[in-house]
Amino acid sequence: MSTVEAVITSIQGLSASSGDLYALHDVLKGAVDSLRTDSELQLSTLDQLDPSKHSLGYLYLLDVLTYGPVSKEKVLLIARFINACDAVQIRLASEKFVSLCKRFKDKVLELRDPLLGVAPLLAAVRKVQVSTKRLTALHPDCLQLCLLAKCYKAGFSVLSDDILEVDQPREFYLYCYYGGMICIGLKRFQKALELLYNVVTAPMHIVNAIALEAYKKYILVTLIHSGQFSISLPKCASTTAKSSFKTWCTPYIEVGMRYNDGKISELEAVVVANSSDFEKDNNLGLVKQAVASLYKRNILRLTQKYLTLSLQDIANMVQLANAKEAEMRVLQMIQDGQIHALINQKDGMVRFLEDPEQYKTSEMIEIMDSVIQRTIGLSKNLIAMDESLSCDPLYLGKVGRERQRYDFGEDFDTVPQKFSM
Amino acid sequence: MKIRIEAIYLKIPTLEEEEPKRINNRRGKKKKEISLETEHTSMAPSSSSGLTFKLHPLVMLNISDHLTRVKTQLNPPASSCANGNNPSTGDATLLPQDFRVYGCVIGAQKGRTVEIFNSFELLLDPTTDTLDRSFLEKKQELYQKVFPNFYILGWYSTGSEANESDMSIHKALMDINESPVYVLLNPAINHAQKDLPVTIYESEFHVIDGIPQPIFVNASYTIETVEAERISVDHVAHLKPSDGGSAATQLAAHLTGIHSAIKMLNSRIRVLHQYLGSMQKGDIPCDNSLLRQVASLLRSLPAAQSEKFKEDFLMEYNDKLLMSYLAMITNCTSNMNEVVDKFNTAYERNSRRGGRTPFI
Repeated sequence: MSTVEAVITSIQGLSASSGDLYALHDVLKGAVDSLRTDSELQLSTLDQLDPSKHSLGYLYLLDVLTYGPVSKEKVLLIARFINACDAVQIRLASEKFVSLCKRFKDKVLELRDPLLGVAPLLAAVRKVQVSTKRLTALHPDCLQLCLLAKCYKAGFSVLSDDILEVDQPREFYLYCYYGGMICIGLKRFQKALELLYNVVTAPMHIVNAIALEAYKKYILVTLIHSGQFSISLPKCASTTAKSSFKTWCTPYIEVGMRYNDGKISELEAVVVANSSDFEKDNNLGLVKQAVASLYKRNILRLTQKYLTLSLQDIANMVQLANAKEAEMRVLQMIQDGQIHALINQKDGMVRFLEDPEQYKTSEMIEIMDSVIQRTIGLSKNLIAMDESLSCDPLYLGKVGRERQRYDFGEDFDTVPQKFSM
Repeated sequence: MKIRIEAIYLKIPTLEEEEPKRINNRRGKKKKEISLETEHTSMAPSSSSGLTFKLHPLVMLNISDHLTRVKTQLNPPASSCANGNNPSTGDATLLPQDFRVYGCVIGAQKGRTVEIFNSFELLLDPTTDTLDRSFLEKKQELYQKVFPNFYILGWYSTGSEANESDMSIHKALMDINESPVYVLLNPAINHAQKDLPVTIYESEFHVIDGIPQPIFVNASYTIETVEAERISVDHVAHLKPSDGGSAATQLAAHLTGIHSAIKMLNSRIRVLHQYLGSMQKGDIPCDNSLLRQVASLLRSLPAAQSEKFKEDFLMEYNDKLLMSYLAMITNCTSNMNEVVDKFNTAYERNSRRGGRTPFI
């Protein structure tokens, strides 16, 4: 009797309870090598198994089958499997599952059909995740597919969990970078800024290409979102980042400096001059958005200086073509909620108002409530982190040392330097 | 607002037992239950005398005060020296579990309403197992001078149930008052029980084994307060820890008190709401008297429905929310600060002080 049949019968027999699953896992691990060389294993043999009930066995057999070149029907089979499989069984062999999904993704990209892979990978991410706070290796792949397929909403649903634990830094960089790009696509610049900030300020010893690209986008997104550019990186960025990013990103920094000055014409000149660089980095669209946002920023500045202004004056100060265009832009900003103003069309005057939010409505109550709940959750996480740090032997060793220094002549027991567990 | 809350929960009958009791009200009169019954139920209370009892909170305060004092006097705390502190029962370093105190309750009876106003302490003579008669009469004379309307209505004791020995004391009092009442306070602290652990017993002659014998039967009562009494009850209810602590502990104690008061109010209103809802659906037969009481209760609330009220209310509510949000953020930042400090201490690469060997 061939190993294939033996394996299949054991899969069918042992997939019921968790104790059996462990036994099955051992059996499968032992049988992997022999299965690889066995030529009897075909796609049709998989029909004897049900992907939702015999997920573990199915996974191993699929893994063996897709070891070599993968054909399109295999891709569809994998997609169906991922959608149907049982999460508990999968988690027993998560590395195999992850590698299978990665192969799936590569193949999907090769076939230039990323849309095919979006839904299965979304499901896969949810199934491999042990808890919603842990980053898995599949997150960046899923986001990459979403980006290529341009289904940003699907990617955003993955981004909405807060990640608190990370296994591999590289996954984290990629996750934040792709996540930032998805948020830019959805025009949620605040969240994009947070994600890109994470990459830029992540600890690193040598310059990381991902971080570099992220820094370029980070500059542009800060311009769009907050309208200011600071040449220095945030304080918590690593020293390597601080020293080397500037040399690699000179065109962007120039854009930023011109933006700070506030003159549209100069900014556009710089953009045109460096447009080849921007195109190479696929950032030209973002740069154009940044230029457009300079108008907004200038108008916003006007609200801080003037109480009322005529449309013609606005057009002059912001270097727009005419009053009509100024009116359109101001109207757009009022609709977006960026400024509060009243346009009097009769005499072309604009009156800038204060924020009319009185915090008196019941919708505000709901917003406040959800915000408070989130803060409470965050506080709990911080306390847990605090406790785990207090038990960290590194920390205790250092604290013990300091006490030792200052307690000369006192009778305290010194904290032992090394703990024997 | 706070006084309203207390008034309301002093007046709302305990309806928690209302619904299940409606089903098993056929148990009969002879069952001695410690649970309270409301005076509005249509089922027959265990006592058939038809008297309504009103108990003032002063009586309960006095009884618990009496018990506490005697207990602490006989059982001084371990820190103070024991010799010379113990009174007559010197060998009792540990009080027996069924230690009881006794006393007399006084009040007035108008028609069918018996109102118990006050109480005073008595000593139980351990040899004859009766209350000290001469002392009782002396006290009664004194009280008669101050409160000419009040006379002895009965006696009280502490414990969990009424025993046979209590009947003899009860009979002894029958020559002063032909039908005395027996007030029993259960000093055991039961956190699950939400009602007052006070029961009032009357004596009735029932035929048992062919002989008419007096037995204790449960009587229902309500709590009655005068405005002046409410001040003292309020005071007792809000005792703060005496060593004042910091403002924080006092504020915490105060807020906890308000929180439990509101929680109790909420649960009682919920019971009422559920009851009315099931009455509307038809699960329970309509009880008009109860509906009338609920209506009168609701009308006494200071409810306002105008636009201005809503606006102001929402604004204040939002202000409070903003304040608690600010407090949460401060809390979070302080936690974050601690985490960052610890992290820096643990993982700092460079040595911060000169002359120290770098951590390997």
